[in-house]
Amino acid sequence: MQNTNTSLLSVKNLSTHFSTDEGTVRAVEDVSFDIAPGQTIGVVGESGCGKSTIGRSILGILDRNGSIVNGEVKWKFGADSGTEVDIAKLKQNGSEMQQIRGGEIALVFQEPMSSFSPVHTLGNQMREMIQLHQKVGKKEATEIAIGLLKQVGIPRPEQRIEGYVWQLSGGLRQRAMIAMAISNRPKLLIADEPTTSLDVTTQAQILDLLRGLQEQYGMAIMLITHNLGVVAEMADEVVVLYLGRNVETGSVDDIFHQPKHPYTQALLKSIPSVSGAAEGGRLPAIAGTIPHPFNRPPGCPFHNRCLEFMEGVCDVKQPQFLPIGDNQKVSCFLHHGGEE
Amino acid sequence: MVLKENTIQLNNPDNLLEVRNLKKFFPIQTGFLKRVIGHVRAVDNISFSAKRGETIALVGESGCGKTTTARSILRAIAPTSGQVLFGSKELGVVDVAKLNGRRLRTLRREMQMVFQDPFTSLNPRMTLLNLVSEPMLVNGVGTHSERVDRVAELLRLVGLRPEYMRRFPHAFSGGERQRIGIARALALNPSMVVLDEPVSSLDVSVQAQVLNLLMDLQDEFKLTYIFVAHDLSVVRHISKRTIVMYVGKIAEDAETEELFNSPKHPYTAALLSSVPIPDPRRKTQRVVLGGDVANPADPPSGCYFQPRCSFSEEICRTTAPRLDELSSGHSASCHRSREVELKGI
Repeated sequence: MQNTNTSLLSVKNLSTHFSTDEGTVRAVEDVSFDIAPGQTIGVVGESGCGKSTIGRSILGILDRNGSIVNGEVKWKFGADSGTEVDIAKLKQNGSEMQQIRGGEIALVFQEPMSSFSPVHTLGNQMREMIQLHQKVGKKEATEIAIGLLKQVGIPRPEQRIEGYVWQLSGGLRQRAMIAMAISNRPKLLIADEPTTSLDVTTQAQILDLLRGLQEQYGMAIMLITHNLGVVAEMADEVVVLYLGRNVETGSVDDIFHQPKHPYTQALLKSIPSVSGAAEGGRLPAIAGTIPHPFNRPPGCPFHNRCLEFMEGVCDVKQPQFLPIGDNQKVSCFLHHGGEE
Repeated sequence: MVLKENTIQLNNPDNLLEVRNLKKFFPIQTGFLKRVIGHVRAVDNISFSAKRGETIALVGESGCGKTTTARSILRAIAPTSGQVLFGSKELGVVDVAKLNGRRLRTLRREMQMVFQDPFTSLNPRMTLLNLVSEPMLVNGVGTHSERVDRVAELLRLVGLRPEYMRRFPHAFSGGERQRIGIARALALNPSMVVLDEPVSSLDVSVQAQVLNLLMDLQDEFKLTYIFVAHDLSVVRHISKRTIVMYVGKIAEDAETEELFNSPKHPYTAALLSSVPIPDPRRKTQRVVLGGDVANPADPPSGCYFQPRCSFSEEICRTTAPRLDELSSGHSASCHRSREVELKGI
C-alpha cells in the first residue's frame, strides 16, 4: 500500500458509531485505506457495509447521533498540500473543516433530487457554494457557475441557471451536482453511488464525464458504489467492505482476478454475466443474508455465510487486516492463520 | 357473449400470451377545465407473444413504457386500444383488454405480479400469514385452516420458515421480503407472473438467491414470466427472449442470446456497450449516446431514436421505421438494420 507520506488522504483504524434507542450501531469498525493524489479508489460493499458512513465521516457530516469514536483521517491541507491535519479531530463546524468541506473535498450524492433544494434556483445554490470558498461577487460567481455547467455538458446553461433543479432530467441533475462539486477545484471528489439511480446509457455518460474531469484537474476520486462493473471500469484501487470492516484491499486487477478473501470471491461469482455464460444456469449465490447491525456475529463478520468457515477460529476471533503480496491486504484467517 | 369470445384464437397453440397492437396513451390535461392538450404515448402500438413456461424480458430505460406494458397486460390499467390475448385455464382464450367484472376477477387468479420494492409493496400492519393468504381470501379459496396450511407450504417453497408466518414484514431483510412477495404471487397457482424489477433493489449476494429461486419455481410450476428489468446482465441470465423498448415502441425483439451476440438495432448495441463489465482487463469500446431519451409527449420526427443515433440518414428523419422480421424470431425496427454492422457483447 501507499506510503502515508505520499497519500492525499489516509484513513487509519476509523470507527464510526451511531447511538440509537436500540443500542450502538457500529457502522464502521477499524477501517483503513489511503488515497493518492489523482487516484480513483473504489469503495465497494453491500448495504450496511458502512461505505456511505465513511464518506460522511471524512466530510464531517454525520447525523447527530453518529460520531467518530476512534482512528484518524489524515488529510494534506492547503493549496500546496503542505500541512497535515487529522479531520477526525477537527471541529465539525470549525473554519478549517469548512475550508475542507466543499473546498478541498467535495461530495456528489446518490440522489441529486433530494440533495438540491427544490425552492432555490440552480444559480442560487451554485453561487452559494462558490462564494463560500472564493472571494467573488454575485456576477462573477454566476459566470463561474455558467462555465461549470457548460463544462459538464449541460445545454443552454444561461437559462438553466435561472431555473430549478426539478426541471432537469435525472442525468442533467447529476451533471449539475457534479458541476457544483467541482466548483472549487477539490483535490478529492467523493462520489457516493453517483450513477445508481440512472439508466445505463446515462450512467455511461456520467462516468465518462467524471473521467474527463479527473484528467483535466488531476483530482482524486473516491467512488462509493455497490456496482462492481462501475468499479472495474473506473477504479485504480479497490476497498472491499463487509459489515463495517475491511475485507480486502488491492489494485483493481488483483481484486477482480486474484481475490483472496472468500467474500470477494463469492461476490464476484454471484453477479450474472452480461458478456458470457448462457441463460438457465444457477448462480453461485452467497447463502444467508447480511446480518442486522445489532446482531453482528462474533469473530469474522462473514463467517456464518462463508464457504471456507473454520470452526473454532473464524467464529471466535476477529481476523486482522494484514498485507498479502506487494499491494494487497486481506483480513482472513485462511491467509494469516488463527493463532496470532 | 361466450360464443363471441371463443372465436378468438392464438396464433400459436404454444403461446400463453399474445399482445397485439397494444397502445396506452395518457392524456395531458391543462387548466381548470382539464382540457386535453396532448397525449403521452407511453406504449405505442406494440405486439409480441410469450410461450408457456418461457421468460420474456422487457428492457429499456426509464420512461420507455416497459412498466406500462406490464401493467396493461395485467389490466392494472386499461389499455387505450389493442388486444391482450391470454390462454386462460378456466375461460379459454380471452382478450384481457376487454374483460371486466366477474370474468376479469376469475382471470386475475391466473396472472400475478411481483413488485420492485419489497419495502413499500408489503403492508407493514399485516402478518406474513395475512399477506400471503390475502389473495386466497379475496378469491374465496379454502377455509381458514386450509389457507394456513397453504401459506406454510408457500413459505417453505420460497425458502422461508413457516414458523415465521405470525411475524410482520419489518422483521425481514429485503431479500426475504421479496420472497414473501413471490409467495403471495404464487398463492393462487397462476400460470403467468409479471415481475417488475424484482431484484433491482436487492444486494448483489441476495439478488443471486432470488434469481435462483425464480428459476426453480418456473421449472417446478411451468410458470411464464414477464420480466421487466433494466439490468441487462440479469436479463441475459434469466430470459429466453428479450424485447428492447424505446419511447413506447419495440426497438428489437429476439432470442436473448442472439440479441446480445448480434444486435440489429443501434439502440440495442448502445445499450449493451453501456453496461459496465466487472472485469478491469476488458476495456470495451463504448458507444456513449449523447442527449436524453426522447419525450414521449413530443417525440422527434421519423425514428424516435434518430437524434441520438450515429447511423441516421435522411430516411430516418422523415419516416418512422416498422418492426421488421430480419430472420426467424428476430425483428428490429430500424431502416438500416440490414446494412450496418453492430457489435454485441
